[in-house]
Amino acid sequence: MLPKFAGVTAGTKDEALSWLSSLKNPKIIAGGTDLMVKMRAGKQYSHIIDVAGISELLGVTEADGRISIGSATTHARLSSDGFIVRNARSLALACGLVGSPQIRNMGTIGGNLANASPAADSIPPLLIHDAVLTLEARDARRKVPLEEVIVAPYVTSIDGKELITSIEIGPLRGYREGYRRVAKRATWAISRLGVAFAIREENDRFLDVKLAIGSCTPMPFRAKKVEDLLKGAPKNKATISEAIRMALEEIKLISGIRPSYAYKLPVLQGILAEVLRG
Amino acid sequence: MFIGQDITRVDALDKVLGTAAFAHDLRKDGMLFARVVRSSRPHAVIKRIDVSAARALDGVVKILSHEDIPGENLFGAIRKDQPFLAAGRVRCKGEAILVVVAATEEVAQRASDLVRIEYEDLENISDPFLSIQSPVLIHDGGNLLSHRKVIKGDAAKGFEASDLIVENTYSTTWIDHAYMETEAGLGYLDDRGRVVVASSTQNIHYKMKEISRLLAIAPEEIRVIQATTGGGFGGKLDVTVEGYLALAVWHTKRPVFMRYTREESLLVQTKRHPLYIVYKTGARKDGSLTAVEVNIVGDTGPYNSYGETVCLRAAVHATGPYEVPNVLVNSRVYYTNNPVAGAMRGFGVPQLALAHESQLDEIAEKIGMDPLDIRMKNALKRGSLTATSQVLNHSAGLLETLKAVEPFWRERRKEGPGSGFGLGCMYYGIGNTGISNPSSCYLTLTPEGRVEMHSGVCDIGQGSDTALLQILCDALGMEEMGIDLVRGDTDTSYDAGSTSASRQTYISGMAVCDAAQKLKKYLKEQGYYEGKSLKDIYRAAADSGIPIFDGHFDPPTTAPDPETSQGAPYATYGFATHMTEVDVDEVTGVCKAVRVHAAHDVGRAINVSNVRGQIYGGVAMGVGLALMEEFIPGKSESFDNYYLPTSMDMPEVEAIIVEDREPTGPFGAKGVGEPALIPQAAAIVNAIYDATGVRMRRLPCDIERLKLALEKNQEENKR
Amino acid sequence: MKTIDFTLNGKQTSVEVEDNETLLSTLRERLGVTSVKEGCGIGECGTCTVLVDNEPHYSCLTLASKANGRDIKTVEYLSSSGVLHPLQEAFIRSGAVQCGYCTPGMLLSAYSLLLKNADPDAQDIKEAISGNLCRCTGYIQIEEAIKNAAEICRCNSRD
Repeated sequence: MLPKFAGVTAGTKDEALSWLSSLKNPKIIAGGTDLMVKMRAGKQYSHIIDVAGISELLGVTEADGRISIGSATTHARLSSDGFIVRNARSLALACGLVGSPQIRNMGTIGGNLANASPAADSIPPLLIHDAVLTLEARDARRKVPLEEVIVAPYVTSIDGKELITSIEIGPLRGYREGYRRVAKRATWAISRLGVAFAIREENDRFLDVKLAIGSCTPMPFRAKKVEDLLKGAPKNKATISEAIRMALEEIKLISGIRPSYAYKLPVLQGILAEVLRG
Repeated sequence: MFIGQDITRVDALDKVLGTAAFAHDLRKDGMLFARVVRSSRPHAVIKRIDVSAARALDGVVKILSHEDIPGENLFGAIRKDQPFLAAGRVRCKGEAILVVVAATEEVAQRASDLVRIEYEDLENISDPFLSIQSPVLIHDGGNLLSHRKVIKGDAAKGFEASDLIVENTYSTTWIDHAYMETEAGLGYLDDRGRVVVASSTQNIHYKMKEISRLLAIAPEEIRVIQATTGGGFGGKLDVTVEGYLALAVWHTKRPVFMRYTREESLLVQTKRHPLYIVYKTGARKDGSLTAVEVNIVGDTGPYNSYGETVCLRAAVHATGPYEVPNVLVNSRVYYTNNPVAGAMRGFGVPQLALAHESQLDEIAEKIGMDPLDIRMKNALKRGSLTATSQVLNHSAGLLETLKAVEPFWRERRKEGPGSGFGLGCMYYGIGNTGISNPSSCYLTLTPEGRVEMHSGVCDIGQGSDTALLQILCDALGMEEMGIDLVRGDTDTSYDAGSTSASRQTYISGMAVCDAAQKLKKYLKEQGYYEGKSLKDIYRAAADSGIPIFDGHFDPPTTAPDPETSQGAPYATYGFATHMTEVDVDEVTGVCKAVRVHAAHDVGRAINVSNVRGQIYGGVAMGVGLALMEEFIPGKSESFDNYYLPTSMDMPEVEAIIVEDREPTGPFGAKGVGEPALIPQAAAIVNAIYDATGVRMRRLPCDIERLKLALEKNQEENKR
Repeated sequence: MKTIDFTLNGKQTSVEVEDNETLLSTLRERLGVTSVKEGCGIGECGTCTVLVDNEPHYSCLTLASKANGRDIKTVEYLSSSGVLHPLQEAFIRSGAVQCGYCTPGMLLSAYSLLLKNADPDAQDIKEAISGNLCRCTGYIQIEEAIKNAAEICRCNSRD
């Protein structure tokens, strides 16, 4: 049994923004896979605004060399979209690992970001693609990098009157790109660790490395120091070891030592070694 | 011949059409809804209950407490020690205190939430090892529920005669049955004013007896019906919703519906017993076992449920399916304020299998013997003495199951660095341990010329309805399955006992054979086998009255000696060998079960497809038990963190059926329901050792525990 | 309350629903479609699976209002022409049905797969039902049934 609320279905983006602006305690529902569970547990809202069917929020387009993803695009769609597969492979892979087929059919990338779980699989790939979110309110519009939107576990800097309308990412071509995650069963499980990577290398030298780690720190983070170390560096055991050491140090700097690190850090070490070795 | 054929299940059509009426689907016009108000404290005295706010809600019809119980408040499958509704004291979180009956489920839930209860906490006894020392008694008789021993030969001398001794501690934790359909039911008064309860259940006559005690009315005034039941695995043997429904109907005189939420089911339903097992094995250099000494401590929660049964079964099966001349087992089960532990597929034996199979592998490694060879050497076979000194006269096919797996075992080849292979063997007594557990049924003829079978057997998905029909057809020598099945209703059947202990094919099957023999004799006299039709036979008999042919079977067992458990506690045993291949990712600690060869001696496979289905389902549960299932009180609230294996977690399974005919069973059949699960987790754990050199002695061997163990192992190897 | 209009198993359907009602509840309680089951209420078991525009969704996590204008299918659709669908026949033949509680959801996930992929391999089939839990069967006979049904459907479409 869900708490009582007034439900409205927005046909257009402007409708949604108008409602967001004028209603008392509104909440956006897209796929509902997170929100419905919260409401069943007792979370109350005065109004639920359904944005899942707004065509302006759906689909994948390219403009000016950047890829724009509608916030209500489902994980299922993103995991199989040819464009995403070719230009943001880690995102396609990650979206294909979210939940189960049913969850992927229902859940949206915008919803995943708004929920801001530290373990959200879509976030590390978006980070390595320099994702920028377009946040719109009835009378305002702003573009914010993803790392500035997620401020704490399950907390975003999105205003109550704002809607994520699209996510822009830069394509990566010519990279060895992927997403690795670990969970307690083969599928349909929260990631205990997630690593998004994109590596360009030639003649035993790293030309460019992008790396983001999820489920390890309060918010998924982009390992910029590691990336800087590896850019242009020779691809050998010593560099890889140093990169891994640096990644672990950065994690400890962010979170201190957590009980789960007894498991996570050795696993991360191993995954990073495999990923960097290729 | 219908036995041995893949006869289509009689219930499958309704289930694929979606028309099967599960307890959750039952409806009656004007029905009310019931919800239970439950304790939020693990151990407390109830000081005050305030239902005023709840009662004031529009739509609330009744709020019932233990004071509204006309008969006995205490129920229990073995010992009547569990209150239907708490009478001043609660002994675990989730214990039932009140039943709220309302016009809608929503109102019933809201009213429940408005009840205010004041508790005075008592000591929360959460450690079974400390339970016996606590001055606080959970029950008047003390905090030790049961202590069973198995004493055979002289264990001390046996150890002296051994060349090596291996001693280790193993532990397992609570596991939830996690059937897909939670507990539910519908109660109402029929037009004769009798109380009728239809529910998701594994037994009907037992529930009828408990309702009779609860309401202080004669059993004839009660009717219990088994709705199509969405899984049981031991969790629906105890009274679940039936008592609350009966009480609500009794007081409101209206139909009442009740269903548990998944969170509620996880909170209150019985669990697999956590067992702590200290296991000492002695063997000679040639691999023969000389002595086994086992100390078992079990946490049964605050109520018996089936705790005594688990205590005894764990003790009796502790050696595993091997001939051990000297045995000393002490099995103790303690009351605590932890979740109630009860019957769950295997009754303690899957936990013991983890121990005895790991022990055997460790011995084998120390003496340089192949794990299959050491099992073959010690395997129980015809003429062997079990741990209770029962001579296995017949149907002891363990060696056949080992031989069935042998070609795969000898040819095994590690595919990669994480590759490993493990064996797990088991035996399991079919039927209840050393006590009478009969089954009865009856047959009659119909005007349409059909045989009508009246069965009280609760088919919970394992296929007993179909198996019994196959048995009956062959027992009567029928060429077509012209049988009408009337089943699952106390009004139309005799007591067949519970669907548990893997007993229905064997015991109810024999009851059916017994009835069939009588009917066959009658039919012979009436000329059926000379060509007279059943229709004509019916017509001829209609004037003098259609006879009823009843059948009965109670497996021949002896009560175990109270001191030593020596005796013949079961009339027959299932035997099995599982060989499991795993692939362990040493970086992540992820263990994948890749392939299983599961050979089961089932005596006779009545329905091959159904036997295979049980084996596959048992392997799945074993994968869960070994690698991912762990009920953590207070944390495991639903399936978002209590993980069951999905299709992607399953290995390939080859089910190999071995038939060492059981002479006392229907056409040679025994049972397979629990055997299917029992050896799998043990085989996985042994395979993990083969792959990684790490022995996991605590379940589940989830990714974190395995990775940490691998890290520790690496550290130790470096030194 | 609001009225929602949708196609249910091929038939135009109109029903009044509460704003906070789930599609699961609408189907089971208002429309009497009890083939759709509740197993956990939080989208973690799959017994509530329905097809929305031929894609599997968890109806327990779907607001009733979301069905508006959509095509909704439950297991009844498979036999709506009066005969069993090859999937249903295959489930019966292969021993894929034990307690039966997961069966309607499984059939729908399988049906959706066959609409998209007429020749699924073993991995495709595993993935298609990876959002439907089964506690009884170990999935193996279910996967066998789907493979067999796929073959029959291919044969049927060739005729």
